Amino acid sequence: MIKVLLVDDHPLVLEGLRGLMESEPGIEVVGTTTDGARVVDLARQYRPDVVVLDLELGATNGYDVLTKLRAEQVPARVLVLTAYGDGESLRAALEHHADGIALKTDSPARTIDAIRAVNAGVLVFPQAARRWMRKPTDRAVAGPSALSDREREVWRHLASGLSNAAIARKLGVSPSTVKFHTQNLFQKLGVGNRTAAAVEYEKQIPAAARGRERG
Amino acid sequence: MSPASPSSSSRRGRPARAPVRPRRASLAARGLLAAAERDLQQIILDIHDGPVQDIFGALSQIQVLRHRPELQTGDASVVLGRVAASLERALGEIRNFIGAFRPPEFERRPLGAILEQLVVQHESLTGATVDFSLATPLPDDVPLSLKISLYRILQEALANATRHAGVTSFEVLARADRRHIVVRVRDRGRGFNVAKVLKKEIDVGVAGGHFGLRGMRDRVAIMNGKLSISSGRGGTVVTIRLPLS
Repeated sequence: MIKVLLVDDHPLVLEGLRGLMESEPGIEVVGTTTDGARVVDLARQYRPDVVVLDLELGATNGYDVLTKLRAEQVPARVLVLTAYGDGESLRAALEHHADGIALKTDSPARTIDAIRAVNAGVLVFPQAARRWMRKPTDRAVAGPSALSDREREVWRHLASGLSNAAIARKLGVSPSTVKFHTQNLFQKLGVGNRTAAAVEYEKQIPAAARGRERG
Repeated sequence: MSPASPSSSSRRGRPARAPVRPRRASLAARGLLAAAERDLQQIILDIHDGPVQDIFGALSQIQVLRHRPELQTGDASVVLGRVAASLERALGEIRNFIGAFRPPEFERRPLGAILEQLVVQHESLTGATVDFSLATPLPDDVPLSLKISLYRILQEALANATRHAGVTSFEVLARADRRHIVVRVRDRGRGFNVAKVLKKEIDVGVAGGHFGLRGMRDRVAIMNGKLSISSGRGGTVVTIRLPLS
C-alpha cells in the first residue's frame, strides 16, 4: 500500500484527489493539509511514502516546504503538483530535489500514475529535462520488474515499431498519455530513446515469452 | 498637415508635444519589455489560481464518479466521459498557453540558463529535439531588456521553425564576443521565401494573422541589433545579433 500525504491549499483539488485516490487500489491517503507549515510534522506523524505537494500554498512557498522536508531528512518521496510545466518550473523542481512533477493541466489520472512511479523510485520529469537530472543512481534505474502493466504494454508496442499515436489508438488513450508512459519506461529501463528501449525488449523478454505477453 | 513632427512644430514656435529623441524612445521601449513580462506573469497567475484549480478539482471529482458501478454503463457514463474529455482538452490548451508564455526568472537566472530552459521547454511542449550549445561562455551581467528580448526572439524562431520547416530537430548555437551576443537557429527543413513572408507581415494590425518574423524584427530593432534570415532548399538559418550595451 502506498501511503500518501496530500498538500494543497485548494479545497476542491484536495477533495477531488482524495476521492480519486480512495478509489484506487494500492493507494491510501493518510493525511491532507492546506497548511504548508504543518507538512513536516504531519510527515513525521503519518510516515507517508509519497508527499504530493502543491507549490502555491497561500503564504507558504511549496519549495520552502520541500527544502525543509529534505533538510529534516524526512524519508518520503516528494511529487510536486503544479500547473506550471515550463522550463523554469522543471529546473526549479529538480534544483529542490523533488522526485517528480505532476501537472494540474494534465488529467488527474496522470497524478496517480506519477505517485506510483515516484514510489517505485523513478524520477518523474519530462524527457527534455534529463540534462539537468542527478546522475542515475541505483534507484533511478529500476529495471523491467518495476514496470507497471500499462508500461509493459506500451513497451511491447514500442518494440514492435509502433509510433506513440498508433499505440494511443490501440490502447484507447491520448498520445500524451503514451508519451508519459514511455518516459517513465525509459527511465526505469535506464535508456535514452525508443531504439534503445526496443533493443532492451529483445534482450529482456525471451522470444518464447513474447507470445504470452500478447495474450 | 501631418501630425506634429519635432521639426514642423519647432518651425511654428509652439511645440504641440515634447519631441521624443530616438535614444530615449528606444530606452522607453526597453522599459516596456519588462512591464509586458510582468503583465504576462499576472495573467498567468490569475489563470493558475482560478480556472486551473477549479477544472482540475472538478475533473478529479468526475473521475471518482466514473468509478461508481452504477455510473459505468448507460447514458450517464457516456455524458460523464464527454464532460471529462472536454475538461481535459481545456486543461491541455491552458498547459500550452502557460508553457509558452510564463516568463522565466529573468532577474535571477543568467542568460545561458534561461536560453537552455527555453530549449527544454520547447522540447517538452512540442516533442522536437533541439541541439543547444554555447560556442563561448555567455556573460552574466547583461541588461534585463537584453535577456527578455533574446528569450522571446529565440522562442519565436523555434516556434516558426517547428510550425513551418517540416522537421523536428533544430540547432541553437549561442556565443558572445566583447560587444555582442549572437544566437543562431538552424533547421534543415523545407525553407521559405523570406522577402515574400516579410512583405505579407507588413501592417497586419492587432488582429492580423501570424506575424512571427515581424515581431522578431521589431524586438531586434528595439535592441539596436541585427536579424538575418537565410532560407532555401537546405533549410533556414536565423541569426540574431544583439549589442551588449
